[in-house]
Amino acid sequence: MPRVLGVDIPANKRLEVSLTYLYGVGRSTASMLCSRLAVDPGLKARDLSEEKVTELTALLQEELIVEGALRRQIATSIGRLRDIGCYRGMRHRRGLPVRGQRTRTNARTRKGPRKTVAGKKSVKGMK
Amino acid sequence: MGRSTKKGPYVDPKLARKVSAQSGKGDRSPITTWARACTITPDFIGVTFMIHNGKTHTKLQVTEDMVGHKLGEFAPTRQFRGHTNKKETAKKPGGK
Repeated sequence: MPRVLGVDIPANKRLEVSLTYLYGVGRSTASMLCSRLAVDPGLKARDLSEEKVTELTALLQEELIVEGALRRQIATSIGRLRDIGCYRGMRHRRGLPVRGQRTRTNARTRKGPRKTVAGKKSVKGMK
Repeated sequence: MGRSTKKGPYVDPKLARKVSAQSGKGDRSPITTWARACTITPDFIGVTFMIHNGKTHTKLQVTEDMVGHKLGEFAPTRQFRGHTNKKETAKKPGGK
């Protein structure tokens, strides 16, 4: 298994797919990388030559923000929103949806598992 | 959808005038405004605003990080006081 950027070891899948195992690389970035390296996107990741791996690593480090650096970048921009006390930052702080979605129902991704309140009428009953 | 770049950011003309008038002197008194849609420009840094939230004006000291946001983002229009606790409401006479 080739190691790209330290810990990340894409499996023995097609290169186009296995590159997406990197945080910050999706299908379109992966195919862009393949064409930049002049490698067949269908090539299995294990068949990637040493030079190509080095070339790939260099490309990722120089031109893209991936993995830890990307995670850090996201965390700092959210932190900034939190600190300045704007509406979006407040939504982040409270763990509620940030982009104006409804919260009367749904919004479970942000709010987490349902906390049932005893005696509260069901959503259907409220309408 | 975002605003067209061609037009540039929306800055309330009246408010911009007030800010520039204040920056000339060392005046630091808060500017009361209803222009929630106004974008914060770099000239606004350090200025104190009183932003209307629909009822009263909330105080805001503009810092560098706030540039590019709108004034309204810093004056919440809704106030959430928490859900009523059923036990407590039941105890109170005349409670629902």
